[in-house]
Amino acid sequence: MIEKIHNNIVVETKRLVKNYEGRVLAVDGIDLSIQENTIYALLGPNGAGKTTTVSMLTTLIEPTSGTAKVMGFDVVCQANEVRHRIGVTFQEMVIDDDLTGRQVLDYHGRLYGLGTHEREKIIKELLVLAELEEAADRRVKTYSGGMKRRLELIRGLMTQPKILFLDEPTSGLDPQNRTTIWRYIRNLKENNQLTLLLTTHYMDEAEALADVVGIIDHGRIVVEGTPRELVSGMGADTIQITGSGDVDSFINKLKSLPLVQSVTNTDGLIKIGIDSGNKRLAEVVSLAARSDFLIEEISVTKPSLGDVFLKYTGRQLRDK
Amino acid sequence: MSAAFTLWHKHMTKLIAHKEEGFGVLFQPILWVVLFGTGMKSVMGTAMPGAGDIYITFMVPGIIALAAMTGAIQGGLILLEERIRGIMKEYLVAPISRVSILMGNAMSTVTKSLLQSSIILVVGVLMGAQIVGLDPVGWLGGLLLIILYGLGFAGIGLAIASRTSSTGGYHMLIFMLTLPLLFLSNALYPLKSLPTWMQIGSRINPVSYVVDGLRQTIFDTGSKLAGGELLPLWLCFLVVSVFAVLGIMLAYGAFRKSVK
Repeated sequence: MIEKIHNNIVVETKRLVKNYEGRVLAVDGIDLSIQENTIYALLGPNGAGKTTTVSMLTTLIEPTSGTAKVMGFDVVCQANEVRHRIGVTFQEMVIDDDLTGRQVLDYHGRLYGLGTHEREKIIKELLVLAELEEAADRRVKTYSGGMKRRLELIRGLMTQPKILFLDEPTSGLDPQNRTTIWRYIRNLKENNQLTLLLTTHYMDEAEALADVVGIIDHGRIVVEGTPRELVSGMGADTIQITGSGDVDSFINKLKSLPLVQSVTNTDGLIKIGIDSGNKRLAEVVSLAARSDFLIEEISVTKPSLGDVFLKYTGRQLRDK
Repeated sequence: MSAAFTLWHKHMTKLIAHKEEGFGVLFQPILWVVLFGTGMKSVMGTAMPGAGDIYITFMVPGIIALAAMTGAIQGGLILLEERIRGIMKEYLVAPISRVSILMGNAMSTVTKSLLQSSIILVVGVLMGAQIVGLDPVGWLGGLLLIILYGLGFAGIGLAIASRTSSTGGYHMLIFMLTLPLLFLSNALYPLKSLPTWMQIGSRINPVSYVVDGLRQTIFDTGSKLAGGELLPLWLCFLVVSVFAVLGIMLAYGAFRKSVK
């Protein structure tokens, strides 16, 4: 079968829109162009439209307007072709936990038309990969959260898809499980030549995994780039200040300094994007004094994707 | 359609694994026949000696109809739960037709219905119901009737399940639907003995047709028992078949709308 891949772009959307019943505009014109064998992270707060976007790409719901193609196939009129080639894991636990892990994988394979021997072979390999061999014949009800996630991941791989969609892959997991899942995801990309599209509201997840990040808010992609590109646009460092006094005068003076790249003030927390925090600290402090601004706390941090989000949307990306 | 079979297989596996559900499926019909049957048998027997046994033969098809109807509508509940829990998403994302999702559910529902019907049959016979011997045509006919009838109600259940958003509402609907349908039929009493308005109601009720159909295929209910009139067998098959088709069409339409 000749794969219709155009320039190795495996996911392509043009002005993708989803308006639920004409009232809720969840996705407001998204353009995506995801290359083969990359990890793309859609980063945004809850309600930004991430899950809706992925739902459209995985043929769960139909777009209101715009087009979307996965592996060159249109998600609306060639939905079945798309379904054959993708693996999906969802935010809500969708594993039927009355079944055993092995049964879950087996039924999944059967739904996709895999033969008995093929299923047995793949299941064996995947159980080893996810370190679930011992638990395979226990009911999923007895699995820990981390185990369930690993099972979900390998279920998505049963059909050896070219692209894997992960909707909030580590939400609700403890930090240790999260780093383990990240490790799995990175290995999958390296060893299996997979393309991965994941949605997340955790900036550390996007930073840890993504080759490309698309920051999404209110149904639109606000800015896109590699994590490094995005963060370096913020200045090399961030100086964080809280205090009291003539805030506006202080900020105006800051903005006029040539070395300052950005200044934001959110809920009393002033963040200054600057080329080198350590070097400029003294200057900033004396500037505050000259502006009748009394500094309470001051610190230097490296900018994060959360800062990028703040810059482009004016709001904090809240980690839930 | 092998996807439908896979889903059927999965539901059956869960039935066996889930002790409580399996127990309910097996035990509930026995309870109904024994309690209701014993009670009615003695009432009838007191009023008219010998009438008790005759009433059992008359009534067991009605209990089968009740069990099959309730069981069939339960199938919709399974779909609803799968949708709420998110399990449905796995099916929707897989390269299978939307119809096979419905058919898989309908098949497992009808299977459970048949299981319950068989148990009621056995218990009914043990309690004195008369059957038409081992003529296979009669048995196959009866089986076909139950399957079609079950499909019809499975369709209705699935249609409702595709449009509701909570299990509470669904339970409410089942409750309000099933018992009245049983009472407004000839399942428990002969058609002729009912007041006119109830006769009319009973004649447009598919329950009446499956019950009289069973009375003429599996059970040996002489027509004088039924107050002199049983609904003609060909009509029973016709009505039940049309009911099945309508039920499935309803389910398909509702389901397709719900996955947009």
